[in-house]
Amino acid sequence: MKIEDMSIIDFALHVADYLYNNGIEVVLSGGSCVTIYTKNKYISCDLDFVLISHIVPKKIKETLERIGFQEKGKYFKHKKSQYLIDFLSPPLSLGEEPVKEISKIRKGNKVLMLLSPTDCVKDRLAAYYHWNDEQSFDQALMVYKENQVDLGEVERWSLNEGMEDKFKVFKESLPY
Amino acid sequence: MLEPLFESDKKEKILLYLYTKGESYPNEIARIFNLYINTVYNQLLKLEKGGVLYSKLKGKVRLFGINPRYPFRKELEALLKKTLRFLSEEEKEKFFKPRLRPRRTGKPF
Repeated sequence: MKIEDMSIIDFALHVADYLYNNGIEVVLSGGSCVTIYTKNKYISCDLDFVLISHIVPKKIKETLERIGFQEKGKYFKHKKSQYLIDFLSPPLSLGEEPVKEISKIRKGNKVLMLLSPTDCVKDRLAAYYHWNDEQSFDQALMVYKENQVDLGEVERWSLNEGMEDKFKVFKESLPY
Repeated sequence: MLEPLFESDKKEKILLYLYTKGESYPNEIARIFNLYINTVYNQLLKLEKGGVLYSKLKGKVRLFGINPRYPFRKELEALLKKTLRFLSEEEKEKFFKPRLRPRRTGKPF
């Protein structure tokens, strides 16, 4: 498949698998997980990859340049693709806590590691909790509606973050 | 004081300033500590890249602050809080007790 024809999942699989084969392990987080879990009801073209371990930026740059990506400021972009790639420093965390379980999407012999739906909801809620970002709140709701999300775990995490009141707002917005 | 950890007294000053002030921009930090703006900006970018700081645009100014989503934020802030206790009163007054109340336009500082 040509890079310009790739869906966000195919693109993320393509990049993550290539990076893995070159010694760079990443987990997809952020808005692109929302796109995947809502089957494109929310569209993000930014792929935020969290590095599993510290990698020298030069290595990432050289590795991606070999398959046609160019560094543009903080991002990497392929001239034939609309998607932007950003790398976030380890550790993979949600607020104060490390991420314990990572979901995987397999296609052929390629594997994409990404936040689970429950952690994706936490990730979006973290943006709402700390930045009052209403868009992230809406995204958390969208992921919740379309996936199996452990609400008890989201509540436990929210209380640990000291966000009881804002979690209550979220809980009251849920459809059931 | 934290140079052995941060390997830079500039980084320590920047973090202490952001901890006490909440948010600031490169020009202000450079002016307060008499540092080159590029030095300050590069340190801010490194800290942002590492997830320690966030930045946001306000008008044409990029403001930086300690990232509330940084997993070690509480521990970092505890360290900075303790560091402030070891500074002289003079240093604290000069650098880390910024005026937060408003001042009417036109009044001399």
